[in-house]
Amino acid sequence: MIEFKNVTKKFDRYTAIENVNLTIQTGSIYGLIGSNGAGKTTIIKLLASIYRQDQGEVTIDGQPVFENVHLKEKLVFIPDHPYVFPQYTTRQMARFYRNCYPSWDEERFKNLAQAFEVDVNKKIQSFSKGWQRQIAFIMALAAKPDILILDEPMDGLDPVVRKKVKNLLIQDVAEREMTILVSSHNLREIEDICDHIGILHKGTLLIEKELDDLKSNVHKVQVAYKNGLPDRLLDKLKPLHAEKRGSVHLLIVRGEEAAIAKQIIETHPVIFDLLPLTLEEIFIYEMGDIGYAIKNVVV
Amino acid sequence: MFELDMRSRKPIYEQLVDKMKELIMNELLKTDEQLPSVRQLATELSINPNTIQKAYRELETQGFIYSVKGKGSFVNPNQKAIDKEKIVEMKKELEKLILEALYLGIPAQELISLIQDLDASKGGA
Repeated sequence: MIEFKNVTKKFDRYTAIENVNLTIQTGSIYGLIGSNGAGKTTIIKLLASIYRQDQGEVTIDGQPVFENVHLKEKLVFIPDHPYVFPQYTTRQMARFYRNCYPSWDEERFKNLAQAFEVDVNKKIQSFSKGWQRQIAFIMALAAKPDILILDEPMDGLDPVVRKKVKNLLIQDVAEREMTILVSSHNLREIEDICDHIGILHKGTLLIEKELDDLKSNVHKVQVAYKNGLPDRLLDKLKPLHAEKRGSVHLLIVRGEEAAIAKQIIETHPVIFDLLPLTLEEIFIYEMGDIGYAIKNVVV
Repeated sequence: MFELDMRSRKPIYEQLVDKMKELIMNELLKTDEQLPSVRQLATELSINPNTIQKAYRELETQGFIYSVKGKGSFVNPNQKAIDKEKIVEMKKELEKLILEALYLGIPAQELISLIQDLDASKGGA
């Protein structure tokens, strides 16, 4: 289990994250999403023990992470720009990883290199961005870590490789109870793979929830009435967002599906539709609720 | 075994529960038949194993399946829960149809007598 307790990290006078409490269960796939500059990468780098927190605790199974070699041996971090030593080939890089990770599986490395059709004797830096990322995944998966940290993991990968990578990650979660922390702006990707979601904004964790709970708690409602929307409905539902398209009203409402449906049906609408939100919509409306709304910029 | 709609707004675990129920109700999964393991299904569908675990737990509380420790999940022979579910679903569909019929201008009385006729003929058969 990974735990952040009241963690604060400052860079000079700039506070990157403040009082963050976060829990990730073993074997879970945790998605970290947030606005630009919200502190996602700071959290990731704290867990990877690249940064040291100013206040609070970052622990894995109760032990502090910073400079803890035993924990770091079981943790692989793929940054948004995977780093490789200059002039190194995949084979040489693999040798370096083998020395760092006791759980390294040479057999698996060979199989993965074959599955991804990588020429292990070619210099990594001569590969394209997407290929370099594939090689980073091969290294990470061959090291068989307990915890895998991914920063914008699917960036630059084509759809076929994405599917391959996703399937391999899931196999490791299913078979070895590997824990994954993934940050991304591609909410579709996060939605498919994660079971828990943390939403960050301006250095604080706004929401931390199971994805299905998050989704079942917000709904998109489309209603139309013969004589216009009854005023008392809005008072009762307190929508996060309301707009009118022609004669159809679109409301984003928080709460239980059955309760909302009951309240609306009582007002006898002509059209009534209740839909779950996509993660992208949840993100946009939750952010809008705290004043980070979409404004059409005109220059 | 089946496909899930990753683009649907419906949560994946709900889709899974519905699909499994459908398979059980249509007896494509028979009584006491073993369900695919969480691992197997996760790899096959590229879905988070925790989501599948959750779907199985939900199916178990609803009485569709039972689990044996160390062996896996199996289809529950107790059909009561299944019948209940079927009735609820059918009622929903009927509601929709009846409403449509009423909007089309079929008098309610005519619908009632239609039901009574059908009920009578069922009794005779």
